[in-house]
Amino acid sequence: MREEVQAAVGALSSPAGEERGGRGTTSDLTIDETLLLHAAGWEPVDLVYGVSWWSIPWGAWQWTTGEVQEASSAFLGAFDEAAALLRGSCEHAGGSGVLGVGVEVRVSAHHVSIELTGTAVRRTGADAHGFEFVSDLSARDFVLLTRAGWWPLGLAAGASFVIAPRRTAREWASQQGQNVELPNLTQSLYLARERAMEGMQRSGTAMGADGIVAVKLREGRASSSVRVIQFIAIGTGVHLRTGAHRSVSPEMVVPLDDLVRLFDAKSLRGARGR
Amino acid sequence: MATGAELPEAAGRRLSGGAWTSGLSVADFASCVDMGMEPVGYVQGYAVMQWSWFMSAGVLGPGMGGLGGYGGIRTGTPRRRGQYVEQWQCPHGFVSAEHRMYGANYELTWLETSWADGWTLAMGRMVDEAAALGATGVVGVVDATRPLAGGATLEFRASGTAVSVGGAPAPARPFSTYLSGQRLAKLVEAGFAPVSVVATLSAVRMLGYCITHYQLAGTNVGTWYGPAAGGVSGVGPVDQVNRAEAAARRIARERVREQLGTDILHGAVLERTEHEIGEGDLSIQCTLKGNRVRRFKDFDPLPDAAPVVRLT
Repeated sequence: MREEVQAAVGALSSPAGEERGGRGTTSDLTIDETLLLHAAGWEPVDLVYGVSWWSIPWGAWQWTTGEVQEASSAFLGAFDEAAALLRGSCEHAGGSGVLGVGVEVRVSAHHVSIELTGTAVRRTGADAHGFEFVSDLSARDFVLLTRAGWWPLGLAAGASFVIAPRRTAREWASQQGQNVELPNLTQSLYLARERAMEGMQRSGTAMGADGIVAVKLREGRASSSVRVIQFIAIGTGVHLRTGAHRSVSPEMVVPLDDLVRLFDAKSLRGARGR
Repeated sequence: MATGAELPEAAGRRLSGGAWTSGLSVADFASCVDMGMEPVGYVQGYAVMQWSWFMSAGVLGPGMGGLGGYGGIRTGTPRRRGQYVEQWQCPHGFVSAEHRMYGANYELTWLETSWADGWTLAMGRMVDEAAALGATGVVGVVDATRPLAGGATLEFRASGTAVSVGGAPAPARPFSTYLSGQRLAKLVEAGFAPVSVVATLSAVRMLGYCITHYQLAGTNVGTWYGPAAGGVSGVGPVDQVNRAEAAARRIARERVREQLGTDILHGAVLERTEHEIGEGDLSIQCTLKGNRVRRFKDFDPLPDAAPVVRLT
């Protein structure tokens, strides 16, 4: 290892790219993810992004109860546009897919913004063979998924914003001084949930996915009003490529790690380096 | 004190003798020693800048932002080659004090330059200390910014552990990296040499024209604001903001690329912040940081990783 470090330091004396050509790439992957991807035949190409803001007109949140269609539509419009921009950015960089996509969602009274950032990847040493996938899975999850015979396709998303009805005067009076369920809020939460989950499944079906993995939920009160319940569901649509699931068959291990020496760098060299 | 200047006397005295210092965790320390990287000193660099995110006084400064910048843009004369500028014009064709006839997105180059100055000063001073110690590089770099004395100041700080690598030719300038310990070992074993930490800030100001203003305020209701009038009625994309967001990220990536040459940016972190200066008036900033690394050898592919279940 010491010799490797000395060689690395020695390489700093030569100007960048003097001996090894190529253009600079950018990646937000960790070194572990880079190594794992390389072992699986993939390499990072570029940091890519897609951002979209959609407007929600005045009045959408008022004078009504039930789902706020304008807000749900704005979310889906912004999400689809951001995903399309991310894909365009990936194709422009020469990537075949985007991994580890970070999803930032901001919902305010008059607009929704979606921000997608990830690293475009391609097969090692190969030009892009067309666009293949977008996924918020980590490199580790991607490798495990593909090894099991599944393939990511794209991000599936659904969202719903519901204005809870007010209680009647009789309900309000009968519930005073008690810790009891508030059906108007529970039902609104369930309505938002059903619409959002349904929208996400519809989105997955549209991309040809067999299922959606690693679904993340964001639910609760929307910032625009105390009576607005939001439910957002986002996951990665996956497709079974091999006809049947392949068992990964993990081995059980009892780690005997010493915190000081968790890693033996020489193990990276594999059989040839021993 | 500029980068490359002599160290303060006290710093020189402190660094010239006594026990070495290190900011590494015990695990990282042990791992670095194992790699032949001997800690020689815990080095730091600071720069405190007078700071404004909005530069309302920019009209008084040469080529600054604020109204002065906007005025300059409206003449269609960018102040710097390659500076991002876009303009929008009201489609309605009437003049009103409350109706925004023009909109503009433009790059806040003065803010980007100031940030780069502060960051480069702090980082340069840290590396200067390492050089004074005869170090080969600085590992485990941590950097941050914060207001130091009220909102009108911004402190840039950088710290890391200077290390010496015996048996290797000293580079012209010590390398620096956010990595240390096992992560650094894996980087080197994977065939990458750490060159330096890199960071940039991009900033884009968006002054909304009438359509954008209505969209962000939610008042884009009715056909008057619709496609026939060059806008979007009801639910729809806010084009001007989307262009500003994309530009901020594109500029950040381009600026980092300029620092990379043919090297690679590893472990990048992109952070976005937004300042709402007024209704329909935004300033969007992106910082992009990471490790500039250089491939110095090909590495063997990893053996196929075996999935395991830990029994702990």
